[in-house]
Amino acid sequence: MSGQSASGARRSGADAASSAEAPVVEARGVGKVFPGVTANAGVDLAVRRGEVHALLGENGAGKSTLASILCGLYQPDEGTVLVDGRPVTLRNPRDGLARGIGMVHQHFRLVERFTVAENIVLGDRRQPLVLSAGRVRSAMVELGERYGLSIDPDARVGDLAVGEQQRVEITKMLYRGVDVLLLDEPTAVLTPQEADALFTTLRAMAADGKAVVLISHKLGEVLAVADRVTVLRDGRVVGAVAADATDRHQLATMMVGREVDLSPRRAQSPPGVAVLDVRGVSLRPPGRPARLAGVSLQVHAGEVVGVAGVAGNGQRELAEVVAGLRAPTEGTVVVAGRGTTGRGARAARGAGLAYVPEDRLGTGLAPSLSIADNLLLTRPLGFFVDRRTATADARCVIERFDVKATGPAAAVRGLSGGNVQKVLLGRELSDSCTVLVVASPTRGLDVGAIEFVRDLLDERRRGGVGVLLLSEDLDEIRALADRILVLFEGRIVLERAGGDADLTELGLAMAGAGA
Amino acid sequence: MTALRAVHLQRRPRVRPWQLVAVPVASIAAGLAVGAVFLTLTGHDPTMVYPAMLSAAFTTWFGFTDTLASATPLIGTGLAAAVAFRFGLYNIGAEGQLYAGAIAASGVALALGEAVPAPAAVTALLLAGVAGGMLWIAVPAAARAWLGTSEIITTLLLNYVALYWMRYLIFGSTSFWRDPTSTNFPQGKPIPASAELAELGLTRVHLGLGVAVLAAVLVTLVLNRTRLGFHLRVYGDSEAAASYAGINVRRLVLAVLLASGALAGLAGAGEIGGRAHALDPQGLALGLGYAGIIVAALARYNPLAVVLVAVLLGGVRNAGTALQSLPGGRVPIAISTMLEGAILLFTLGGELFIRYRLRFGRGQGAATAEDLESVPVASPAEPTTR
Ligand SMILES: Nc1ncnc2c1ncn2[C@@H]1O[C@H](COP(=O)(O)OP(=O)(O)O)[C@@H](O)[C@H]1O
Ligand SMILES: [Mg+2]
Repeated sequence: MSGQSASGARRSGADAASSAEAPVVEARGVGKVFPGVTANAGVDLAVRRGEVHALLGENGAGKSTLASILCGLYQPDEGTVLVDGRPVTLRNPRDGLARGIGMVHQHFRLVERFTVAENIVLGDRRQPLVLSAGRVRSAMVELGERYGLSIDPDARVGDLAVGEQQRVEITKMLYRGVDVLLLDEPTAVLTPQEADALFTTLRAMAADGKAVVLISHKLGEVLAVADRVTVLRDGRVVGAVAADATDRHQLATMMVGREVDLSPRRAQSPPGVAVLDVRGVSLRPPGRPARLAGVSLQVHAGEVVGVAGVAGNGQRELAEVVAGLRAPTEGTVVVAGRGTTGRGARAARGAGLAYVPEDRLGTGLAPSLSIADNLLLTRPLGFFVDRRTATADARCVIERFDVKATGPAAAVRGLSGGNVQKVLLGRELSDSCTVLVVASPTRGLDVGAIEFVRDLLDERRRGGVGVLLLSEDLDEIRALADRILVLFEGRIVLERAGGDADLTELGLAMAGAGA
Repeated sequence: MTALRAVHLQRRPRVRPWQLVAVPVASIAAGLAVGAVFLTLTGHDPTMVYPAMLSAAFTTWFGFTDTLASATPLIGTGLAAAVAFRFGLYNIGAEGQLYAGAIAASGVALALGEAVPAPAAVTALLLAGVAGGMLWIAVPAAARAWLGTSEIITTLLLNYVALYWMRYLIFGSTSFWRDPTSTNFPQGKPIPASAELAELGLTRVHLGLGVAVLAAVLVTLVLNRTRLGFHLRVYGDSEAAASYAGINVRRLVLAVLLASGALAGLAGAGEIGGRAHALDPQGLALGLGYAGIIVAALARYNPLAVVLVAVLLGGVRNAGTALQSLPGGRVPIAISTMLEGAILLFTLGGELFIRYRLRFGRGQGAATAEDLESVPVASPAEPTTR
């Protein structure tokens, strides 16, 4: 769904540039080895003016390393980087910028206490000794209009939302006059709406003759916005294809190295009795607008109910009320026949509920504790904690879920995103629960892990568990849900069967149209 | 800029166990080296003073037992700081809680009188110390648990209240704690002999040492083996995770702070029953509570390490006193205070080198300070991808 608004502008830029022209930046046989890991090996990549070039690969495939080499942050161990067909040595990012190559890193490099304008001129040696605020401002206005990047030059960066900070980074690079902009997983921190806006910006830049390298592991956005896609796996290029000559399935297979099944899964048998009954739940903090207003829903055994909604419209509150972490102002929650309203998280668990929160590290798991300890987190414990059994249990989970870790004593914060989610699911799903509340279970995971998680939830559904799935990602909802509810400003504004839900209708409802 | 280019910090990929030991040892050595400079500047010979300190504190039987006696209250206050700081609760008030424990312990011992048999009197004295310490932290603990009031400020301010209250109890003419026979200079009334803690032979080592070590073992067991300890570790790591798991966070905060106060109060009772035998401001007001914070920090908040560090620091303090009578010349007692401070500073600074290492020359991989643009200052919320 992402990027539809951008697709109109698509490819017009690519047509403008002749394909015979030398790539503006090119990697030939680039290799980079870190202690113990080969991050890049024999990588070839050619990026042309006027195109959005996606660099696709799973986590750890070597995408960030390659981009860092192209912008001058890292030096390749072997191979060459060419700019406009000529080999160059980029000793640092300043060299890269001097040749018109700039990168927006996954972790922004801004000074929070400075204003937007100050950040934009920071480190720019072309600036006169006395800064001219007016010049920066007018340049920002011009860039903002041309590429749809509006930001207040006088705002403090620390006060801005993440999406706005990203616009500052992009503006900064454009202000430096880059011809090639590398963006490292820019959508990882954005809402779908912000991502759409970013894609419009990227298309506008390509149409203007700039080259954009978009790093991603999300198939949907790559297909929606890129002209060409280079796929990396284990540090090597698996292939480079035109976006309109490929599809999700092919890209997923190239990326993961095996067949991946991401097709939607639905219940095979009719739903059973209601295992979760939420009636008239409202949450009204005093003096502020209601977060939930009269929400009623039922989840039956063997059914996945998806609750879609843009973040901030009450999904998190709904999940927390159901899980017993918040007491609603009005209404009741019944889990497997037992009233648990406002009786705390333990009461809800006692009644057979498991909860996988969206914030995995920090809420669902204690980051610096071990895997073994984290698996105990929601278990009822005796006065003494039995370490030996806990370690043995952790071994089982590690084996059953194929968690990549050094052992039960490994701290969860050192695990990759997919493995973190496996530990969390391993704990929440191995209990004999009847109701499972999961929030954005595949967010941020790569394709292989997404398939794993979906299979797992589907298996639970077939085992008779009632699943409440909350997410703002419609792809995620539609891949699993038998029924879809849309939450907008704390109310359920739409209900559809999972199979025939219309994407546009759902999207409009999420945006509040006709509510 | 050029200077920065030559040296920079790089995060260690992995912290090895030996680094956890080597770094503090190197820090202590560095502290002693700085001390040597000061000694030389003030006309003392470090090669004379340090061996003399060593023998005064550790290598003679008399010196070592004195060191153990000095270490006893430091174990208590060190544990008090360790249990709280470890979980992000900063009880700066061990000093005041120690006074409160001392006041309560001596009050109870005096009230019981000679008639009560020794085991009962000693038990009552220690329990009174625990109760006094808990009482002194009760209000800051409750304020923190229910109102979120910073315990740093409240516990710190109460230290002064406790100090002046203790002085008042000694100097006040009608005070129960005042020794009526001390006419020229007011003193605390001595506690009955039955309430005194047994001493080891002719040394100054007393039962309080055993109690303090037992407390350290107990704290370790609770933290590592029990449900409470497990919940505390979860809370110390992430309060959100604790709430998610249905753990009663308020109760944990109360438990930790009360336990911290109890340990400091116990140290106060030990000083009354084992050393001073009366409420005595000169002997107590040595900053034992604040020194406990140093002990806990050096021990990285590990209760068993607290015992070892307390002995080390007790030795430094003890040697400071002994040095004044060194034949070669009067070494000021301030030297031991200076060494304590130097060791603390270097250890806290050394913490950095447990997690980071120095790299010389051009670095790769790490974001270096060579270019302002590459210094990561603001970063978005950690994305879930890795
Ligand atoms: N600075 C570094 N030091 C050591 N290893 C690194 C460093 N940067 C990346 N790696 C390793 O190189 C591999 C590729 O990493 P990266 O380029 O970040 O992948 P991606 O961006 O595709 O997720 C991974 O195995 C990663 O652990
Ligand atoms: Mg990366």
